[in-house]
Amino acid sequence: MLTWALPLPQERGVEVPGEDGMILRSFRFVDLETPVEYFNTWLTPVPHFFVRNHMHEPSELNADDWRLTIGGEVEKPLTLKFADLSKFETHAVVNTLECAGNGRSLQRPQVPGIQWGKGAVSTARFSGPRLRDVLQRAGVKPSGKHVMFRGLDEVPGKVPPFIRSIPIEKALDSDTLLATHMNGAALTRHHGYPARALVPGWIGAASCKWLTEIKVLENEFAGNFMSPGYRFPNQPVKPGDAVKPEDTHPLTALGVKSVIAGPGDAANVKAGKVVVHGAAWAGEADVVKVEVSTDGGSTWAPANLGNEKAHYAWRLWNYEWKAKGGDYAILSRATDSQGRVQPAAPVWNPSGYLYNAVDQVKVHVA
Amino acid sequence: MSRNAWGSAKQREYWFVPGVIAGGIAIIVIIATAVPFWALSDKPIPAKVTEDLPPGAMQAKATTACLECHEARIILQQRLSKGAWTKEVDKMVKWGAVVDANDHDALVDYLSTNFSPDRPAYEAPRTAADKGTSERSPGKPSK
Repeated sequence: MLTWALPLPQERGVEVPGEDGMILRSFRFVDLETPVEYFNTWLTPVPHFFVRNHMHEPSELNADDWRLTIGGEVEKPLTLKFADLSKFETHAVVNTLECAGNGRSLQRPQVPGIQWGKGAVSTARFSGPRLRDVLQRAGVKPSGKHVMFRGLDEVPGKVPPFIRSIPIEKALDSDTLLATHMNGAALTRHHGYPARALVPGWIGAASCKWLTEIKVLENEFAGNFMSPGYRFPNQPVKPGDAVKPEDTHPLTALGVKSVIAGPGDAANVKAGKVVVHGAAWAGEADVVKVEVSTDGGSTWAPANLGNEKAHYAWRLWNYEWKAKGGDYAILSRATDSQGRVQPAAPVWNPSGYLYNAVDQVKVHVA
Repeated sequence: MSRNAWGSAKQREYWFVPGVIAGGIAIIVIIATAVPFWALSDKPIPAKVTEDLPPGAMQAKATTACLECHEARIILQQRLSKGAWTKEVDKMVKWGAVVDANDHDALVDYLSTNFSPDRPAYEAPRTAADKGTSERSPGKPSK
């Protein structure tokens, strides 16, 4: 019948205002993944920037009513209004933000959590006052060793609030921000309006959104999202094995990683010149090399690194492949300035954090 | 002989044959075109904003216990062993999920049967397109 020859109608996407063609991992709470084919601009447009929420976004957000308190181990506790933030010097940092759980769906055996594919990572120019300047206004006491962030996330049931802390050294780093802007525009609701922490090079969870309280502590904050959440085994773990909490440490900086944005996995391409391209990042380190293999990992050739670069930002890369007919596994592998190389196999851990195995797509060339 | 809107009895006999033919053609046309019209429609099928949990004896209780705080997709995308599901259920009970002690094992069974590691991966939908943004990211490598 005629219908056999007709394509099925496309499924219409779920309307999420301000978001464009994102992979909907969850509507409530909103968790959106960036499709890897969008990894083709150095700065990710905000509607393509991945969204990770642990709980409900604040139902009411108003910059006029917003207050930020700075307390704990400080000489002079402060309460800042939104307008007060603009009185501090503004600093901009281009940062690749990646969820610690990015790539979790690729772990075997599978582990619980949002089943991110490869796209819980994006890059933007964040700007706002330095956290250091705000902390110095309050005067950090010598006893202050950690800085805690609390956001306005609305907590369902008896779920522990999303509160985490970072060590004072990272808090006082000149690139750690109270970000109010992203790519030159005010933060959107999904990204932490009116102000968020921006802890460059570290896992996304460090960069608390809808910031309302900063507290300087003597010790690391003790709460679910510091322990047992967001911790990594001290020693390699056999896939599937349990790990004792005392044998773990908090996640901080991201690893070295590259992802192939195109051709897409299972793509059919024409023989001839095929541009293999993608992005590579390394947390607090710099990407120094991306290599591509078109023969399943037997031989590797260097990719061209894009001109646009910044300390905490990914590098776009591309490789011109003269493709002949056949079926191929195309791999990418990044190396960073600390000498770290993407591993051939994933480093399994019980929560599926920091997946960074060599990336791979399968391609048919005709 | 009674009359009706079709005219006389004799007229009705004349109308009978072409009427059947016309009716048959109309039915064939409707059948032949119904699906193509649907398939060619500019209006795609809307994706579900939030998902439902699968049928089963524990569907209603799982819906009450779990979906009070989050939508079903967070469950639908998991592929876990029975041991891992037990840990998840226990964690969620601690975090406020209301699960009667008598239902605990049945709930774990329901989840670990429907969302076991051997099941194919959940296919997540996309959010709707924003034309302005799509045009800025045409899916080509950056120069």
